[in-house]
Order: sequence, then C-alpha cells, then structure tokens
Amino acid sequence: MGNQSAAAGRKSHLQHHFVNEDQQFESSKMGMWIFLVTEVLMFGGLFVAYIIYRAWHPDLFYMAAQELDVALGATNTVVLIASSLTIALAIRAVQLDKIKAAINYLSATLLLAGTFLVIKYFEYMDKFGKGIYPGQAYSYEGIHHEMAVNFFSIYYMMTGLHGIHVLVGMALIGWMIIKAKKGAVHSGYYTPVENTGLFWHLVDIIWIFLFPLLYLID
Amino acid sequence: MAERSANTLRIREFPIDENPKHTYLNHEKGILSWLFTLDHKRIGLLYLGSITFFFFVGGVLALLLRTELLTPAQSIIDADTYNQIFTLHGAIMIFLFIIPSIPAALGNFFLPMMIGAKDVAFPRLNLASWWIYIFGALFALFSIVNGAVDTGWTFYTPYSVQTGTAVVSMTLAVFILGFSSILTGINFIVTLHKLRSPGLSWSKMPLFLWSLYATAVIQILATPVLAITVLLLAMERILGIGIFDPAMGGDPVLYQHFFWFYSHPAVYIMIVPAFGIISELISTFSRKTIFGYWAIALSSLAIAFIGFLVWGHHMFVSGQSELSSVVFSFLTFFVGVPTGIKIFNWVATMYRGSIDLKTPMLYALAFLFLFTIGGLTGIMIGALSINVHLHDTYYIVAHFHYVMMGGTVIALLGGIHYWWPKMTGRMYNEMWGRITCGIIFVSFNMTFLPQFIMGSQGMPRRYFNYVDQFQGLHQFSTIGSYLLGLGFVIMAVYLAWSLFKGPRATSNPWKARSLDWMTSSPPTHHNFEYTPVILHGPYDHHKPMKEFRMGVAESEEERESAKQKPLKS
Amino acid sequence: MSTHHISTLPTLLSVAGALLVLTFLTVAVTWINIPEPFNVIVAIAIAIVKAAIVAMFFMNLYWDSKFNTIVFLLSILFLTIFVSITLLDTLFRDAGLPIY
Repeated sequence: MGNQSAAAGRKSHLQHHFVNEDQQFESSKMGMWIFLVTEVLMFGGLFVAYIIYRAWHPDLFYMAAQELDVALGATNTVVLIASSLTIALAIRAVQLDKIKAAINYLSATLLLAGTFLVIKYFEYMDKFGKGIYPGQAYSYEGIHHEMAVNFFSIYYMMTGLHGIHVLVGMALIGWMIIKAKKGAVHSGYYTPVENTGLFWHLVDIIWIFLFPLLYLID
Repeated sequence: MAERSANTLRIREFPIDENPKHTYLNHEKGILSWLFTLDHKRIGLLYLGSITFFFFVGGVLALLLRTELLTPAQSIIDADTYNQIFTLHGAIMIFLFIIPSIPAALGNFFLPMMIGAKDVAFPRLNLASWWIYIFGALFALFSIVNGAVDTGWTFYTPYSVQTGTAVVSMTLAVFILGFSSILTGINFIVTLHKLRSPGLSWSKMPLFLWSLYATAVIQILATPVLAITVLLLAMERILGIGIFDPAMGGDPVLYQHFFWFYSHPAVYIMIVPAFGIISELISTFSRKTIFGYWAIALSSLAIAFIGFLVWGHHMFVSGQSELSSVVFSFLTFFVGVPTGIKIFNWVATMYRGSIDLKTPMLYALAFLFLFTIGGLTGIMIGALSINVHLHDTYYIVAHFHYVMMGGTVIALLGGIHYWWPKMTGRMYNEMWGRITCGIIFVSFNMTFLPQFIMGSQGMPRRYFNYVDQFQGLHQFSTIGSYLLGLGFVIMAVYLAWSLFKGPRATSNPWKARSLDWMTSSPPTHHNFEYTPVILHGPYDHHKPMKEFRMGVAESEEERESAKQKPLKS
Repeated sequence: MSTHHISTLPTLLSVAGALLVLTFLTVAVTWINIPEPFNVIVAIAIAIVKAAIVAMFFMNLYWDSKFNTIVFLLSILFLTIFVSITLLDTLFRDAGLPIY
C-alpha cells in the first residue's frame, strides 16, 4: 500500500499472526466474500421456494402481485441504489482520509436505509389492514385462488428476511460512524468500512432481484 | 509481495526445543484464560472437551435404546419416550458431536500448525464460533427439558408441524449451531489461502488440510440452506405459512429437498475430514510417501462437489418424481469413484511400506475395513430398486453407523491417539491403546453387523418393539453395544491416566514428516518461535529424520535493519 | 497493491446512473405486454445486469483479486444446482417416466 508512511504514527491494527497489513486486509475481505456466499445461499432457499411455487401456480402469482404497489417498490429500489452510492462514496472518502465527508456519507446511507424501512412499514400496514397476513391469520378475500396465502407467505418471508438484513446493515453503518468519529478508520486501515460496504451492497443486490420477482409480474 | 520475493530469503536452521517450560498450556492461567482464549490450540481443546461430553450423552442415550430392544415388547421405556430418545440420540450425535468433531477440534488445533502459522486468520471469530456452539447446545438442552422432540433428527413435515414437542427451540438450536459451523469454515478457507508459511505451496500441504479445505467448502455452501430450512420450519409452526405444510397447500416433499440439500453434503462434512486423518496415519506409520498425493487431494474436492448432486437418494419413497429418482440414483454412484480412489491409494501407500502397528495405525486399518463396508453398502442402497426394498429398515441404520462411527469416529480416535503427545506432551499407554482398539473394533461389528441382517429381513428402523424372530440378533447387537461402551470407558481411563502419569513425549515420537511435528510437544503459545520456511514435503519419508529441518524467515524488522545498516555505516 | 482500489467520482456516479436507468427500464417493460415466458426472462436479465454492475464496480470485484469473483460465482453456481435439481422433481411429479 502506497500510503503506509502516512499511516505511520497511528495505532497499529496489525494482529500478531499476520505478516503485514496487506495480508490482514486481504484476509478480512476474503472472509467477508465467503460470508456473502452463505448469505446468497440462505436467500437462495427462499428463491427456490419462490421458483417452485411460481412454476406450479403462475396464475396465482399474477393475481397476487397485483396487490403489491409497484410505485412503492420502485421507490424503494431507487432508495437502496442511492444508499449503495453513498456508502461507496463513504469508502472513497475514508480512503482519501476525508473523515468528515465519510461520516456525512455514512449518515446519509443510514438515513436512506431508514427511509427504505419506513416505506416497507407502510406497505406492510396497508397489507395487514386488508387482512393479508402471512400464514393462518390470512383473511383477505380479494384474490380468488385457494393458494393465495402461499404467495404472501413467500412475500413476507423474503422481504422480512431482507428487512432484517437492512436492520443489521444499519447497525453496522452506525458502528462505522462511531468508529469514524473516534478516528479509528483512515486511509491506512479501513477494513471494517470496506466490509460493511460489501454487506450493504449485497443487501442491495438481493433487493434488485426481489423487486421484479415480487412486484413486476404481468 | 513483488518487492519481497525480489529480496533473497536468508535461511537459518530452526532448532526444536524439547520439553519446553513455557507452552500454550501454561502460557496463561485460570479458567477465564481458557474460556476467552484466542489461541486456536486452546479453542481446539475446548471443542474437544465439548464434543466428548456430547458423545457421552449421545452414547448413553444409544445404550438406553439398545436396552429397550432386548425384548420384543416393552422392556424399560414406552413408545413415546423411545421416539424422543432416538431423536435426541440422532440430533445430539450429528449436530453437537460429529459435525464439529474433527474440523473444530483437531482441525482447529492442527490446521495453523501444519501451515506454520501462529493462528487462524480470525481468532476472535474462532472463539465466537465456540461460544455460539455452546449457546446452540444450551438451546438444544432447553428443548430436551421443555418437552423434547420426537420427530427424528430430520424434522420431516408434516409431523414436525403437528407434534406437541419442542420443535421450534430445537430447530433454533440447529440454526445457531449452523452459524458456528459456518464461522469455522470461513476461518479455515481464509487461513489456508492467506497464512501459509513461505515455501508451503498447495502441493506441500498435508492431506489433512486438503480434506479440511473441502469440508469448509461444503460448510460454506450447504449450511446456509439448512439455516433457511429450519427458519421456514419454525415459521411454519409459529405462523402456519403453508410452504411445507400440506394442510395449508404446501409441499412436504419440498421440505425434504431443502433439508437434504444441506444434510446430504453434511455427511461429507462428517466423513471427509476423517479421510484426511487416515492419509496422515497411513503415511506416517508405513514410513512411506503417500501414494497419489494429488489423487487424494483432489478426490476430496470431487466428493465435496458430487455430494451436492445426490441428495434425492434419501427421498426415493417420499413421492418425488420418478424422473428425479432415476437421475439421483445414477448420480449417487459417482460418489463412489473418488472415495474408491482414496481407498486404493491408501492401500498402495501401505504396499511395501515399513508398517508399524501402533494404536493410531490400528485405528486406520479398522477404518479401512469398516468404512469400506459402510461405503459399499451405500452403493447398494443408492440403487433405486434395492433402496425401495431396504428403505427405513435397520439396513440403513447399520449402513450409516458403519460410515459415521466406523468411519468418522474411528478416524477421530486414531487422530486423537496420533496427536495426543503433541496436544498434551504425554504418551498414552500403548498396550492399553491396542487392546482398546481391538475391543472397539470387535464390539462395533457385534453391534452393527446383525443390523444389516435384520434390515434385509425387514426389521424397520425407529420401532421400539419387533416380532419375535429378531430377538436373538437384537440381543447380540445390544451386548455388542455394551462392550462398545466399555471400550470407551477404558479409553477414557488410560487417556486421563496418561495426563498425569504418562511419560513425557518427545517432539516427534512417530517420526512424522509434517510441520505440526516440527515444534515442541506441547507447542509454545505461538506454535513456532519464528516464521518457518518449509524445505521438505509433508510425506518425505525417504529422507532420514536427521536431514529434516526448517528454515527461519527474516522478520520484517530484521529486513528493515539489514537495509538500513549500509546507509548508516 | 491493486486490491486497495480507490474508485473515481465519475465512475461511482455513472454506475449509480446506470442502475437508475435499468430500474426505470425494468418497470417500463411491464407497460408493453411481452408474452409469458419472455417477460420473466427480460426482468431477470435486467436484474442480473444490475447485480453484475453493483458487484463489479461498487463491490470492486473488477479490480479485486480474481479469487473473490470465483467465490461469488460459486454461490450462484450452487444455487443453480439447487434450483434445477429440485425442479427436476417438482415439474415432473405427475409425468411418470418418459420411456413408459
């Protein structure tokens, strides 16, 4: 790394079993990528359930998807893309030692993530108001299909698990803001910010697939 | 990195310190220094202790089951309790014992040592993985107290949705234990990629590490699917989401697809590390280079891959489509190929070797015998037509005990004996080791060989009573299981005795050639005092022991000061 | 060291711009009625392109060690195995064997 001299004088984050900071950084990032693989496969189970049931009941998926609000879904997609941009900018700012800008970008990301959840909350409340619950509590009569509840079970499982990931991501981003304020991340050591970014982008990628699969069935 | 390789590497010889005063065992003192240690060796021992405890619990449950089966009618426990006990026996043995057994205990201890590293890549994650394991174990214990589980360890729907037992807390325990397994897998893969010492190319890695690598790949790719499966099952019980529950329009066969997408590869999480141990044992105690290094190394990866394609052979009578049954049966036969490659290579390694029948080698030979029976019967029941006949009989029970216990547990015992001097610094009693190995080998066959016969005659599994014609075989099997239990008690006694009274071990009592033996017994806190430079292969038995040495890489400071000196002077 | 890639501002902004355009496109194609199998294919194709852009330029796979790309693709490969072999059952449940 070019700016090791710039990092001199700062507290070393090098753990005893690594030879140098590059080795440590690359190990952490590789570990994060492998963790992302487990995330893909965990969501993958839900995608498999989705594909199987859609193949069995294409008409149900068409009818049920009409109940979802495309405008809200699209807005949330835009919100998440914007948050991916801001966290990428935050990482860039840390790499350039512009810590103040980084904190601002991270805060913007946190705000956008919150916006996503608020919109999601209103969507859920709208559904609950109609009696569209996951599972046995389902009481909506607007869809004339005996399997109607299955679509919404899958919908709630997918968006719910994704929502939990958004919450986890928000916690991580909040932690990064604290770290940045303490001056614990800088151009010489930004591994945690980088990994939080990777996690957040994956949350974005999953939503990129959820949006057309759930909302845009025509 | 480019700069560094341009520098010439100066190499000094690395001396091995015999009987060191400061070891990882006395590096820090007190119970907290163990429970919150970041040292991979201590974490390995924490795992070893935990799995031993759960093996004991699961073993006692198994003996209870066998005792009930002494008579055709009810002997000591009623049918519902019997269902709960066999479920617990299965769940504890699989999720709490055998999956973490070799990778998390022996792997944790020896993986960094075999590559000359000071620790795994993420020591804190490693500790977290043990704590998560304990947390998951507490969940499992909670569900035992809170009504137990009577579904079998597979939690098949729709019964698991309807039963009144504590399925939710047990599935959450499985979910948590899965996390622990994933963290270990991530740690191992990154460690092997990033922390190998200078000179330790992939082709110089001991085969144990190749098998741990393959295992970690399976852990990473399969375990998350188990997580989502048990999560959906819990939701099915809590909310009734109707994905797996036929009463709500769901598909119970889909549950089985989800479950076995993890659980079939999981049987390779259990057995592949055992293959790795056997490779080490056979080469060391035959005093011979391993035959077909790359064939054994790559066959581990091949098993890991093919293991993902065959899960449906658990579902031949579950109502999946005939087409997929045929395809799964066909693909299942392919798993036999890389496994066969390993067996032949091990036998070829022993050919014309100078075989030393120490206890670990006896276990390796027992493994070859028992695992081959387990593997070949696996090919039989992988055949669609035979499987329909033998499905859910004792034939299946015997088959997987030959693979899991005759394979993994026997290899684990071999590994524990092999590395006992390294881990503890003491030698166990060789005579008692051999006698116990003999007892375990004979009693294991007494227990499970009759079950093949009963199964082929139609004795169904998971029944607490049976028709009179099976009584003789069942009683023979039960007596065998008692002897098996006795064998483990004897082992516990002589191993515990060796901790206090055993003679001190030298650094390399077996004259093995891999890196874990090139440091003192027990190792020091950092395994190696310097970053070792590897000059020999892990199976170079053709070189005399006195030629074996390791280089020492210069540390960064030394190199810096070497650069600075000419300027200063 | 190539893994410490610092993205330029124009790159990041144009990546986000491309993602927004593709999001609009994926909604827009639902306004024209593409016949049954192709609408799904188009939707998924756009999603894959978007995901690839995020992975390559936001997650830096384009500049990163190739091993991380392999790792990520491996997850997709095994997901494909999971889906396709399960479909082999669920799509042919009532079909019987083709040869009979």
